[in-house]
Amino acid sequence: MNQSRLLPLVVLLVGLIVITVAVVPLPTPGYDSVSEVLLRTLHRRLLLVAVPLTLLVEGAILYAMITFHANNDPKPTEERPSFEITWTVVVVLILLFVGTSSYLVLGNLTVSAGPDMTNSSRPVDVHVTGQNWFWEFTYPDEEVTTTNTLVLPANRTILFRITSTDVIHSVHIPALGVKQDAFPGRTTTFKTNVTKAGTYRLYCAEFCGVGHSTMLATVRVVAPPEYQQWLQQHKRTQSDRPQATDAT
Amino acid sequence: MVLVVGIAAGTAWLLRSIGRSPSPWTDGGTVTVSDEVGLPGVVDLLEWVLTIDHRRIGILYLIFGTFTGLWGATDAMMIRTELLNPEAVVWTSGTYNALFTTHGLTMLLLFVTPVFTGIGNYFIPIMLGADDMAFPRLNAIGFWLLPPALVLVRAGLITEVIGRLFLALDLDLGFLFAIQPPELGWTLYPPLSVVSTNPETDILLVGLHLSGIATTIAAINFITTIILERSDSVSWADIDIFSWGMLTMSGIILFAFPLLGSAFVMLLLDRNFGTTFFAVKSGGPLLWQHLFWFFGHPEVYIIVLPGLTLVSLILPKFAAREVFGFRSMVYTTLAIGVLSFGVWAHHMFTTGIDPRLRMSFMVVSLAIAVPSSIKMFNWIATLWNGRIRFAAPMLFCIGGISTFAVGGITGVFLASIPVDLLVHDTWYVVGHFHFIIMGLIVFAMFAGSYYWYPILTRKMYDRRLALVHLVLTFAGVWIAFFTMLIVGYLGLPRRYATYPAEFTLLQQIATGGAYLLGLGVLIWLWNMVQSYRMGPRIENADVWDLKDIGQFTREWQWFETQLEREDE
Ligand code: HEM
Ligand SMILES: [Cu+2]
Ligand SMILES: [Cu+2]
Repeated sequence: MNQSRLLPLVVLLVGLIVITVAVVPLPTPGYDSVSEVLLRTLHRRLLLVAVPLTLLVEGAILYAMITFHANNDPKPTEERPSFEITWTVVVVLILLFVGTSSYLVLGNLTVSAGPDMTNSSRPVDVHVTGQNWFWEFTYPDEEVTTTNTLVLPANRTILFRITSTDVIHSVHIPALGVKQDAFPGRTTTFKTNVTKAGTYRLYCAEFCGVGHSTMLATVRVVAPPEYQQWLQQHKRTQSDRPQATDAT
Repeated sequence: MVLVVGIAAGTAWLLRSIGRSPSPWTDGGTVTVSDEVGLPGVVDLLEWVLTIDHRRIGILYLIFGTFTGLWGATDAMMIRTELLNPEAVVWTSGTYNALFTTHGLTMLLLFVTPVFTGIGNYFIPIMLGADDMAFPRLNAIGFWLLPPALVLVRAGLITEVIGRLFLALDLDLGFLFAIQPPELGWTLYPPLSVVSTNPETDILLVGLHLSGIATTIAAINFITTIILERSDSVSWADIDIFSWGMLTMSGIILFAFPLLGSAFVMLLLDRNFGTTFFAVKSGGPLLWQHLFWFFGHPEVYIIVLPGLTLVSLILPKFAAREVFGFRSMVYTTLAIGVLSFGVWAHHMFTTGIDPRLRMSFMVVSLAIAVPSSIKMFNWIATLWNGRIRFAAPMLFCIGGISTFAVGGITGVFLASIPVDLLVHDTWYVVGHFHFIIMGLIVFAMFAGSYYWYPILTRKMYDRRLALVHLVLTFAGVWIAFFTMLIVGYLGLPRRYATYPAEFTLLQQIATGGAYLLGLGVLIWLWNMVQSYRMGPRIENADVWDLKDIGQFTREWQWFETQLEREDE
């Protein structure tokens, strides 16, 4: 069967395509943080394979529907192990591609921030505490605490230490590619580096009760000098009012 | 008072109109007078309640499942209506949160499994040449546990309605109003579910436990029936693919549900007797997630395997050839059943569990895509070189596999840990699983409802209405759930009663799609009921010309003998 002889070629072609897609550099338009670049670039890499694959499958279904509609000469089903092996191998190749490229991204410490994530240049430490239904941000080195506003310096490594005082919440800053759950009684960590100044939205992404959808915070990323200025200013107002919280 | 009288009058009118004798029905030039479907008498009703006949129990399951499905769909329509506005103006945030909780629980635990159990009850003994299910009395018990389970799970709303009725009679039963629909999400994560002071939370847990027992009983019955009750002429190799699906489903249930039941009991103890299984100090919230998802992910396959195999059963009947790769269809079903127990922590990628653990769960989650894709290719190969007939069951199968492709591929995206970090707990996930749940599972149910409608009712459904139903449902799935994928990728979390204004347009589009789905369901219901009352009577058992292609399978042969017997 000459059709069957094409099958190894198909496998080879798919292999070549996924290897190319796995290594080709992709532009990173408008991405705002190191984590976002990693996560969204991976997502686009997967899309590069997934979209053609989806179109191929949908196209095949549609084509078969139309071509073989009212076909007067239906052929009996035969066993075609060569076909079955081919598409199994193709699927395995594609999943190997997904697995390896995900692994490579995870290998970058920014994403897989385990508890032992001390790094060469000292990161900016931020303690994030979720509680019903607001966010508290503490800068332990600076003795500054704010509510629902997080101010960060651009281009510095940021280490979030995340916890909760009541139920589970989750820190979710989609524009920066940050997501990490906040558990009571535990501390989780997430590391990133924001490369663009700007204002971003922080959502709570774990259902925490009636105020869940209002548990939003603003992330303001500013140039490092401005950040220092903000810290000083904040310290001053904080010492004026002993338990002051940020008005915003 | 007015309310009570109104309801009574309405019910009486409804009952009368159902019992009204139908008018002659015109069908393609020939006038077929359908026989009358009257009101059942008390004796008839009692017969149904006390029945241990697998076909009757099957129909009871189907009626129950239709009822819960409609209830869950009503919740969904209310959710989507609330989301027309970025602020909670239609319902309060609390009501919204209760709606998605009851929607999820009702759909997953009280709709899908009962419907497939119903189909299996009716058809599997016939398809395997068994006289009945292995344990007929147990079968009846399994079913009759479900209505009380439903009442307990949905008590918050039921008690409120009863309370209001009594209020109308000037009787204030305040405690009835203390029982509120739960606002927890179907995953019932502690500490939220432990600190909740709503008494309905306890009632809910008891109800869910009861439904779990019912499900397990049915599973045991299926396993025994399929393995031991087949007639001598049905060897292992002759078992149809849907029975394989139900067998695998039942096997998964046997391992998954008892664990869920134990977790529910632990949660009840924590709430009421001061135990500390899920206490914060001992790391309990994470323990719950492990236990819950050890059940929860297999549950996903418990509901999808019957759907997948039902498609594999129906598709070849309208392609005029046998299913391609029957053997691999069976093996992939079994493989999915086994692998489904090795992926649970992919629901916990953002909880900060050990990175190496996370990694291995990613690998298994990717691996489980292999058997699913093989099924996909097998279906396409079945269509290839066949003779495709565009009957409603077939169109629902084809529509179902085309939406399943999107559900499956987005699933691979979610299995990739970095992508999951982006979209976990956003609308993306809701879009993904509805592409499967609505796009495949419910499509398969609709396909089954049309395919076997002649056997179940002796009548034919209205084909034009079925086509309208198909178009609405297919368009609805793509519009509603593809929009959710986009909303989620843009970052909006799920379970959000209110949302930032920039998502308004997308949310309204999704709601539009959901309304199409709702309309489709109503048309399906109308078709099912009206065709039963007045549809043309089936005279020839070979409704789908299956004899020509050598696929006149056992249930149709059985149907033929039934018809012949009636003619005598
Ligand atoms: C009639 C078509 C349906 C529509 C329009 C619909 C709509 C929705 C929406 C909008 C949500 C998300 C609520 C939120 O996160 O804020 C949701 C959640 C959910 N739906 Fe559906 N749904 C439909 C059918 C189904 C079916 C058939 C099933 C299962 C068999 C199902 C299972 C679920 C589950 C498990 C959730 C998650 C609930 C939770 O977050 O706790 N849905 N649905
Ligand atoms: Cu929250
Ligand atoms: Cu899962």
